[in-house]
Amino acid sequence: MRLRRPDPHTLAGAYALDALSETDRAAFERHLSACDSCRHEASSLREAAGHLAEATAVAPPPRLREQVLAEAARTRQQPPPVTEAQSAPRSWLGFTWPAAPRLAVAVAGVCMLIALGLGTLTLTTQHRLRVEEAHNREIAAVMNAPDADIMTVRARTHGSATVVMSHAAGALVLTTVRLPALPATECYQVWLMGPHRDRSAGVLPTAHQGMTAPMIVSGMASGDRLGLTVEAAGGAKHPDSPPVLMLDLPTS
Amino acid sequence: MTAELPGPRPRATEGSDLAGLLAKVARGDEAAYAAVYDQIGALVFGLARRIVKDPAQSEEVTQEVLLEVWRSASRFDPVQGSARSWLMTMAHRRAVDRVRSAQASAEREVRATLAATDYDVVVEEVEARLDAQRVRRCLDSLTELQRESVTLAYYGGYTYREVAGLLGVAVGTVKTRMRDGLIRMRDCLGAEL
Repeated sequence: MRLRRPDPHTLAGAYALDALSETDRAAFERHLSACDSCRHEASSLREAAGHLAEATAVAPPPRLREQVLAEAARTRQQPPPVTEAQSAPRSWLGFTWPAAPRLAVAVAGVCMLIALGLGTLTLTTQHRLRVEEAHNREIAAVMNAPDADIMTVRARTHGSATVVMSHAAGALVLTTVRLPALPATECYQVWLMGPHRDRSAGVLPTAHQGMTAPMIVSGMASGDRLGLTVEAAGGAKHPDSPPVLMLDLPTS
Repeated sequence: MTAELPGPRPRATEGSDLAGLLAKVARGDEAAYAAVYDQIGALVFGLARRIVKDPAQSEEVTQEVLLEVWRSASRFDPVQGSARSWLMTMAHRRAVDRVRSAQASAEREVRATLAATDYDVVVEEVEARLDAQRVRRCLDSLTELQRESVTLAYYGGYTYREVAGLLGVAVGTVKTRMRDGLIRMRDCLGAEL
């Protein structure tokens, strides 16, 4: 996968938003421990980010209060940190992070790709998800493939498509974001456009809140490009309009 | 609280109160702990609801965060930042860790679906709140890309690489927009304090 390590200096915003993977976060915190001005900036951006929670405040169920207070009364507290005995540099936040779920560490890279695909699934209904379980496994197979390659291309009109492709799995997963909505009489159709002929890969699923659920496309041949056209509802045999989006697929 | 002044509301006292309360909590003061719960319970729970979606899991996250506050109150260092920021960082990370580990087990979408619909209800509940309005006003002052980058990361729990994929823009662009967006938020919130 083409993931380069970022320059930690530019990551203060993403850090303040907890938008870093575990490895990126660790690298950035190492950077912070050696850079006073960065620490100061990160801290001030954290403060700003913390205010975002004010827009979502909602009272918890009253019983939770009793539960939490009772549980605390039974729970042993940590002693204050003994500064002189500290061997490791402390995080700027000053608290040792508890044994939170660390699953993401081992699978950080793959997790990113899965999330990218599954994130768009969040908008489908639950019963559809059950039906689509097998489909999801196929998607996971592509995204977990060691040779998975991720590409994003902007549409000519508006929005973009993201493709995760694996030659090993012989398939790609396509998601789109914010393509212009179409009238009911039209649809987006996906094509594998080869040097000799174009093959339909099916009609793009209907978008929910601007995103389409991941779609599996297989049967790619060398020299194919992925194209998206607007066709009459139900799809066409051949692309009848200029593609709104074209992507050169990598050759193995 | 100081007397109600015309114009901006006095907010600084809230933060210093929290710091004072945390110092008491660190010494095992259960009444102070209850007061901390009352001040941040809705913030933590609301944030968990927004990120984790599923109500039961959101309660679990809230409980974990609050118990962590009890256990580690002695670790809070006012020199490093405000009590509020320390608490909300803890809450946000917990919620985000929860969805990221769920993503790894491919359950996230199911959970999200369960509660995707009550988001609007949540929004309505808080719409009237002054704090919420202030934050919304400041969010509105960002450029579209800044706002999307910031909110997808903060409320969606996405990493900046995921945000870049979702928005179809370069990873470097997202990093910059997150930073610029938060700087603008910081300045806007500061101006409104």
